[in-house]
Amino acid sequence: MSKRILLACAGGFSTSMLVEKMKEEVKKRGEDVFIDACSESKITENLPADIIMLGPQMGHIEDEVKDLVNNEVPVTTIDMADYGMMNGEKVLDVALELINNG
Amino acid sequence: MGQTTSFRVKVQRFASAIQKNKYINSVSNGLSSILPVILGGAIFTLIDTINIPAYQTFLVNTGLKALTEIPPMITIDLLALYAVFAIAYTTATQFKSDAFSAGVVALMSFFIVTPLGVLSDEATLALSYQWLGSTGLFVAILIGVLIGRLSTLIIDNGYYIKMPKGVPPTIEKSFAALTPAFMAIILMLMVRGIFELTPFGNIHEFIYTLVQVPLVNLGGSWWAYLIVVFVMSLLWFFGIHGTIVVMGVILPIWTSLRLENLEAYQAGVELPHTIAGGAFFMTYTAIGGTGATIGLAVLLLMAKSKRYKTLGKLAIVPGLTGINEPIMFGVPLVLNMKLLIPLIVAPLATSIIAMLATTIGLVEPLRGIGVPLGTPIFINGFLEGGWRVPILQLVLLLVSLALFYPFFRSLDREALLVEQGEDPEVAADKAAKASNA
Repeated sequence: MSKRILLACAGGFSTSMLVEKMKEEVKKRGEDVFIDACSESKITENLPADIIMLGPQMGHIEDEVKDLVNNEVPVTTIDMADYGMMNGEKVLDVALELINNG
Repeated sequence: MGQTTSFRVKVQRFASAIQKNKYINSVSNGLSSILPVILGGAIFTLIDTINIPAYQTFLVNTGLKALTEIPPMITIDLLALYAVFAIAYTTATQFKSDAFSAGVVALMSFFIVTPLGVLSDEATLALSYQWLGSTGLFVAILIGVLIGRLSTLIIDNGYYIKMPKGVPPTIEKSFAALTPAFMAIILMLMVRGIFELTPFGNIHEFIYTLVQVPLVNLGGSWWAYLIVVFVMSLLWFFGIHGTIVVMGVILPIWTSLRLENLEAYQAGVELPHTIAGGAFFMTYTAIGGTGATIGLAVLLLMAKSKRYKTLGKLAIVPGLTGINEPIMFGVPLVLNMKLLIPLIVAPLATSIIAMLATTIGLVEPLRGIGVPLGTPIFINGFLEGGWRVPILQLVLLLVSLALFYPFFRSLDREALLVEQGEDPEVAADKAAKASNA
């Protein structure tokens, strides 16, 4: 089954930009990964996911999201610099690393 | 640095406490969920009211006027009804109980405390629009939260009639499900009865006069608004989405402010509020995103260093639509002392200029359409207040640019020196000296 990465920020706007960059990277690598973005209030509706990545501006609710998914999947906050530069390659690496070894 | 980190942790705790608060969350999620309805009404308000004589004649002659006036009447003018259902729904969701029935019960509760009347034929029972629009918004919020919470409390604590052993569990369950509605009826009848004994006559009059009007006037004051803007920027400095945190608290007030303007616009009377809540914020304050970073986005495009130029190309299009995370985290503005001053000052400056321009009549108060996030700058301004507003926005863009320029120039110089192979610390030194000179 393909892996599912879910990105969440306030309105899902800026994360959706990053998702586009990540999808380009996935295509380049030919991996079987599904990536989507949503607003933090809609996380439940967008599950299941193999990892949830929060925009750094939502890092302060990381614990809450962990509770939300009962710690069953990794929840992480995206690095500020990677987020700002929309570094899809790096964020995808982090995601896959956490899914495989998290 | 250690001090900054521990202060940052405190700020994060504060922000997360606000955002974790289930009641604040319920209200802001509930109000957000009815935005499409409000926007639908607002767009048709524009379509119905645009003041071009030929166009208005066309609407009347074709009979379209009878249709275009309907959407505002059943959306904005009935806002409290949508709100009470939505907020009870989101509250019950927060507390993990049956959201849909909470919504239905809340709607019923709202009707119980709302006065009924009789039409002038003295026979037809009627419900007046008086408390169903923005005037009833605060009561809708209170009832929505109360009922959303109440149904969870009743079910979780087992405050319902227990059946003797042997009765199929389904029967007990179906009776349990009736309890919240029944208790809500009794409670709301009590509220109605009590307020009928007071000079206010009903809870709407009471809440509206003693809570809603004072709070909305306070929230619509210059100082309160500027403090809100300041807190948002400060939270962003610490890397927290300040806009969404503060918006959670201020949304009921901002919604009232802009809806009162929208209702006035629809009625063709003078718009009451200079600061039309979220509409003012999106049009003037958060120009290019929170922190009024539109000027910085333009500066990035013109940067000499490769790093900032690349970021500029990435950030300009989202920036024009009010989304500035690439700038916040890419420049960055977050935790960057060198840009703290413009981050705080720019949105305050654009807000104050816009308040002054509105007060002295250079632009009309905004209509409170509340165009969605993602609507490009100038277009949002035009929809909110006609052709003068985009001109003011252009001025504000230049103000933002001027405020960010001296601070950004030094950063750009530093980045350029690093790109040319200079040691980062030496580069910082040189750039600082050059900008002092």
